[in-house]
Amino acid sequence: MNTKLTLLLLSSLFVFAACEKDKPTPVVDQRAYSVSTSGNIVTVRNLPADTIVGTTAQGQPIGAGRYSFFSLETGQWIPNADSNSTRWDLAFAGTFLRVNNATSGPGGGGAFVYNGTFESLTSVPTDSTFRVDNHPISYAITRGSGKSWYTYDGPTNLLTPIPGRTLVIRTANGQKAKLEILNYYRGGATPSAAAADSIKTRDQRFFHFRYSKIG
Amino acid sequence: MRHFLFLFVLVFSTVASNAQLDSLRSMDEVVITATRQERRLGNVAVPVTLIQRQQIQQAGSLRLRDILQEQIGLFITSGFGAGVQMQGLNPEHTLILVDGQPLVGRTSGILDLNRIAVAGIKRIEIVKGPSSSLYGSEAMAGVINLITENPGKRSLDASLRYGVGNPDQGWALPFASNSFQQLDLNLQAGYQLGKWKLRQSNDLLFSDGISFRPFSTDRVPRPIRRLTHQTTIQRALGSKAEFRLLFRANQDRIQQEFSVRNNGQVIDSYGREQNHELNLQPTLTVRATKNIQLHTRGYFTRYVGDQQLNFIQKPDSSYLDRFEQDLYRIEQQLDWTRGASDLIVGLGYQSDQARSTRYDALSSRKQNRIAYAFAQWEWRLNAQWISIAGVRYDDNQQFAAALTPKWAIRFKPNDKWSFNASVGQGFKAPDFRQLYLNFTNNAAGGYSVYGTQDAIRIITELDRIGQIAELKPEFDRLTELSPEFSTGINLGAEYRPTQTFNIRVNGFRNDIRSLIDVRQVATRIDGSQIFSYLNVKRAFTHGVETEFRWQLKTSWQLSGGYQWLRTGDKDEWARIKKGLEYTRSSDGTSRVMNKNEYVGLPNRSKHQAQFKLTYQPSEARFIFLRCFYRSRWTVANSNGNGVHDVQDEFANGFFQVNLSGGLPLRKNLQLQAGIENLLNYQDISYLPNFPGRNIYVTLNYKLTPKLPN
Repeated sequence: MNTKLTLLLLSSLFVFAACEKDKPTPVVDQRAYSVSTSGNIVTVRNLPADTIVGTTAQGQPIGAGRYSFFSLETGQWIPNADSNSTRWDLAFAGTFLRVNNATSGPGGGGAFVYNGTFESLTSVPTDSTFRVDNHPISYAITRGSGKSWYTYDGPTNLLTPIPGRTLVIRTANGQKAKLEILNYYRGGATPSAAAADSIKTRDQRFFHFRYSKIG
Repeated sequence: MRHFLFLFVLVFSTVASNAQLDSLRSMDEVVITATRQERRLGNVAVPVTLIQRQQIQQAGSLRLRDILQEQIGLFITSGFGAGVQMQGLNPEHTLILVDGQPLVGRTSGILDLNRIAVAGIKRIEIVKGPSSSLYGSEAMAGVINLITENPGKRSLDASLRYGVGNPDQGWALPFASNSFQQLDLNLQAGYQLGKWKLRQSNDLLFSDGISFRPFSTDRVPRPIRRLTHQTTIQRALGSKAEFRLLFRANQDRIQQEFSVRNNGQVIDSYGREQNHELNLQPTLTVRATKNIQLHTRGYFTRYVGDQQLNFIQKPDSSYLDRFEQDLYRIEQQLDWTRGASDLIVGLGYQSDQARSTRYDALSSRKQNRIAYAFAQWEWRLNAQWISIAGVRYDDNQQFAAALTPKWAIRFKPNDKWSFNASVGQGFKAPDFRQLYLNFTNNAAGGYSVYGTQDAIRIITELDRIGQIAELKPEFDRLTELSPEFSTGINLGAEYRPTQTFNIRVNGFRNDIRSLIDVRQVATRIDGSQIFSYLNVKRAFTHGVETEFRWQLKTSWQLSGGYQWLRTGDKDEWARIKKGLEYTRSSDGTSRVMNKNEYVGLPNRSKHQAQFKLTYQPSEARFIFLRCFYRSRWTVANSNGNGVHDVQDEFANGFFQVNLSGGLPLRKNLQLQAGIENLLNYQDISYLPNFPGRNIYVTLNYKLTPKLPN
């Protein structure tokens, strides 16, 4: 009897502890979007990026066509009303990633993809150049399976970020950051290959990434 | 009458005891594939597996796939039919022969083993390790040679088999819903008309389709009707010559009903596939002198595959596919024995032709002519050492020539031990698909794949009219395709302490270079990709195979085997060793991949094991139990790094048990029954052609008992 009581007390303690831990994360969106900082690394989870709202006449799932603008400098999701400003550094909509420069915004942003782990990149390699968007022909972060940061498999209908691909970003104000995309699905776990297409469609376009400033 | 019965029993019991002797791997068994000459198994210096008629029959095998899946070191692959993986190499690298001549009509490099009926086959010889020095292209992993029955015995055998399975219910009831039924009818006859000896085999197989995937109308396996006919005619010409003609024809009618998923969209299709195959093999053998023998062989084979598919979601469009291949060959071989040496020299010429809707136009016939020469010198130094050296040269009209040597030695210090070692070169010539494919997939983004012969011309023309946005560096490497080459080493030992027990071990290593793979060579201005074929990949396979046989008592026999296998892509392996391949930690962040996380080539199992137990008190009365194990194999790259590692998706390892038994009912009538996949193992995703438990009953009727000639 005694042990049962202790267990009950302990478990309720855990519930409290869990609640405490959850509290400081700023919940901006109901869909579990969160930003956390550990040392100089900022981790963003469940950033929706033009999630699926319906289907086309041909049955293809589509989003509302809205980008999610994000500021790497402040670690904040920027309202769409500020899209024509230098407040944001990186914008997400499905596999479209845009930097704040040229055809995408008024800033001095840029990006390129580095082959190597996040930890191994400590400064911008001297032999590299930042690219800018030339919408709709090309983008600083190239779209397409196997071309930059992800692979897409048609038969399983799953998108997977490629391990060891680090995005190097120049912010709108010219600061440098490295960024690793961790996952593309709600909750941070890629659905299994055997999962129903409705689940794969519903849970896609949720970005999980970590970034930090570099010299 | 009494006398007749007595005689019959006497004859029958002799046959029965012979059968028992046969079932033990005997050094006196004859094998022809290893050296192109009949040799006792005890004198062959390369790894050979022999499957005798009796084993095929007792296992209840109908198609080549059924019996090959029960052999150690072989795996059956799915996709474009059932292929065979040997020494860790893909199905396109194993040559499949009937009486020494190759079967054609491969799809994506795979020859569907279900196309080949084993009725009328006397034995199957499997030679592992590169054998291109004797057989030319495709003999990289090895050779599977089906030896047909010789005519000459007056006989009439008929058998009727009925099988049923039900993946939902396990124990099948013939007419329960979703039952899967099979009916096979076989008739074999041998007769003699003067100097002419004839033998015929006819086989008819009806097989139900079955849907065992939930929420799917796919019927895998598909409803099929297969018809096989085989005639062999033999005639002695004087005392020194013999003429033999083999005719084989096969027809498959397959009902297609399947669903294709891409980008989250499903397209259901239905239609019909028909395959026709024809083989004609005239052979003349002349024993010119005591030491010289001449073989003149002609060969013609034709394969036609026709497919028509209609799409439920797109009723106005349909898919038509036709593929025709013809092969003509003439070959002359001379065998010369002189003292301790046996010399074989041969010359051949072949014309290989194909036309297909998959190429630029069905009316355009593609052709490749090959002239070849081969030589082999077998030298018995003394009672202990045999050396066999061979070389072959294939001169191709369409691509670079191939020179493939091989050397094998056998050392037999005493009756108990023998050792052999061989090193050889194998090659596979580029096939018609790699030279001439002209395919644009409008359903999936409009990408195109062109064979190398057309790629440069088509892309240059598209570029001239401004349709090309980008030429990849790979475009400049698009030149003449060269054959794929491999070097194979086999080291083996056999130990035979008594007449009733033997164990053999064989280690192998294959280094494969200039493997042909698809690469993007250009991009159209609408963004769609253009692919072609390049000699770009390098790979290795190595492993150890071991097998034992033990005659426990006169009527009991136990055998077993195990294979350990490692494979890899050499470029991937080099990148992993340099720390240039990445994977993810459990928290989702990237890190450098460790060497021990690499799995190698997909669809390979590291471990394979099997046990077989036979109880056979008489020829028609037997029990044959087989247990197989295959360890997990990787099927998809799920962590995005493009390399197969321990984090990827695997198909589960599994056990399979097959059981069969025979019972004599009357003097000429035998009842055979069996259960395939007794444990009812199913894997709907990765073993689509492997439905649940299947139970069958066969009636074998011998009108005339086979009498020794």
